[in-house]
Amino acid sequence: MKYHIVQLGCQMNISDGERVRQVLESMGFVRTENEEEANLLGVIACSVRQKAIDKVYTRIHKWNKWKNRKNLITFVSGCVLPADRERFLKLFDLVFPISELPGFPDMIRQYGIVTPAGLQSLDKGLEHLESMTPEPQVKESVLKPYQVQSEKNNLRPDLGIEEFWHISPKYGSGFEAYIPIQNGCNKFCTFCAVPYTRGREVSRPSDEILEELQNLVNKGYKSITLLGQNVNSYGKDKKGEEITFAELLEKIGQYGEASGKDFWVYFTSPHPRDMGDDVIEVISKYKCLAKQIHLPIQSGDDGMLIRMNRKHSVEKYRRIIHSIRRMIPEATLFTDIIVGFTGETEEEFENTRRIMDEFKYNMAYIAQYSPRPGAASSRWADDVPKSVKKERYHTLTEDLMRHSLEYNKKLIGKTVKVLVRGKDRKTGFLSALTEGKIIVRFPSDDDTLIGQFVYVKINSAVPFSTEGEMVTVDVNALGVDA
Amino acid sequence: MNDNNKHKLQAIRQLTDTTYVLEMERGGMDFKPGQHILLGYNGDIHKREYSIYSGTGDEKLEVLIKEVEDGLVSKHLRQLEKGTLLEVEGPLGFFAIEPELIRQKRKFLFIASGTGIAPFRSMVRSYPGLDYTILHGVKYAHEAYDKKSYNPDRYILCTSRDNGGDFHGRVTEYIRQHDFDKDAICYFCGNFNMIRDAMRLLEEKGIPAEHLHAEVYF
Repeated sequence: MKYHIVQLGCQMNISDGERVRQVLESMGFVRTENEEEANLLGVIACSVRQKAIDKVYTRIHKWNKWKNRKNLITFVSGCVLPADRERFLKLFDLVFPISELPGFPDMIRQYGIVTPAGLQSLDKGLEHLESMTPEPQVKESVLKPYQVQSEKNNLRPDLGIEEFWHISPKYGSGFEAYIPIQNGCNKFCTFCAVPYTRGREVSRPSDEILEELQNLVNKGYKSITLLGQNVNSYGKDKKGEEITFAELLEKIGQYGEASGKDFWVYFTSPHPRDMGDDVIEVISKYKCLAKQIHLPIQSGDDGMLIRMNRKHSVEKYRRIIHSIRRMIPEATLFTDIIVGFTGETEEEFENTRRIMDEFKYNMAYIAQYSPRPGAASSRWADDVPKSVKKERYHTLTEDLMRHSLEYNKKLIGKTVKVLVRGKDRKTGFLSALTEGKIIVRFPSDDDTLIGQFVYVKINSAVPFSTEGEMVTVDVNALGVDA
Repeated sequence: MNDNNKHKLQAIRQLTDTTYVLEMERGGMDFKPGQHILLGYNGDIHKREYSIYSGTGDEKLEVLIKEVEDGLVSKHLRQLEKGTLLEVEGPLGFFAIEPELIRQKRKFLFIASGTGIAPFRSMVRSYPGLDYTILHGVKYAHEAYDKKSYNPDRYILCTSRDNGGDFHGRVTEYIRQHDFDKDAICYFCGNFNMIRDAMRLLEEKGIPAEHLHAEVYF
């Protein structure tokens, strides 16, 4: 039996999807990229934008039409707002929060599907599968137990997340991996629906995180990203019974030194409110902790930050950046910015431009504001015209390109260590990332380099990327840049 | 985090035509004055954030609710019968006073608009002897919710649409016309525009930005 998953959204969803794949494949399902040949069709949904939710509706309407000619089961999980979940219950066969993934095999079995793994134990052949699959019209009665189960967790979708973390993921790459360390959010930014889809902050036990990280490093993984909605509030929900985020990084750093292995550890996303000097200091101390900080600011105007309920001021953010520049001068800096948020005036936007000029980000993920259903701001007027949002987006992007180019030009002539990630769109080139996540492309047809660290001498730069030639270096004599 | 998230509704105390106090069983919830909860009717998918209105020494848990026109939660909650189970998540948030500041006997300036008075009532009830001044901005004097909860010498009602308060005009106008202790720790709660303008004014009057703390109501 084959399964096909439509995965929408952020790195957290990608990470969740890796665990869904593990569960399905351990049941004997085989992954297919062709949804038409799948017997089990699922969506890992994202509620960040209405467009992503619209995609879920488009898919399920198509899949439900297919039920007239074939037997299949549909499911949806991931980031789903309560109101959408209610609607999905009428459209999908199975609807469950990701924290209930450990119970997924039981849901499928109770639905009446015998999986290949189950069949082996029953000593039956795969050819019986089609005849044993129930007709879609019975789904209401079969669904009921799962509606009840989900209602239990309606208010606290984080319940059961610890069990979810015990599932070993089916990593999508052999050299890059995500490790979820925390789930949920307590911050209630007015533009964001995450507190309503993923519930409150829950930290994963640190020994599990370290075990997963060590396993990955031992398997040769080179780039590992610690994931969470607010990674640097890690441990706070355990009220002193868990280590802090800085202490977690310290343990990872110590392991990195002791292991003698070469790898980079990143984290995303931290919240400025919880970003202390202790985190920055520990990053500065250890080689394996990547010198790249992604610190979302969202707006450079204090008034907008209040309206966004960000719980920090520009000045507080500035102090963090000064600490980063002081303790990790080589660090690259990434951010997230929303333009055209409710009520954003020209003056407030100009303040955001000023901080772009001041902090000279290497990368900024700039979004034109659109109300996110479920978020507090979705109840406010979306009063900045689309044309203005677009103009502000282009203005900020041009500013960003200027700063990016300025930085990248300084790399010309330098030799940098990079992790090769795959073939570049430019024929005959490979694409790689520096420790600071600056894109480097270089001419090579050698696919065996993918997933390896190599050194590249940079000879040209454009905004957001550089180009160079791979070189052989004496590592002991080399200072690593970017 | 309180895991026992079902709280029985005990009473609804109407303060004005559109504002009421919802009283529920506390259920052992431990909170810091100033924090909020996520509240909804048991089984309803919609929840909203409300600041805790009661003090840490109170037996019941209270929130102050202003009915929102076309609101999915605030109108519905008011119609519930006594004994109804409510779903409460929390306490949540960071809008709280550092106990060290109280020990240092610092002066506190609380600035609220409308139901933004809620966290300050919780603070005042929880910390006897607190050296505070409240500026409460409302449209009409009858919106001085539970005024008796505060020391009259420390409570300044600013009314923008009638003369029934201590000052006729917006809170921001009061701030513009008066001087404040530059060492005061300032807390703001209420609507975004009031908070933004009041913060700017107090910064102009020499209160350092790190002494300004805000909780936005939306």
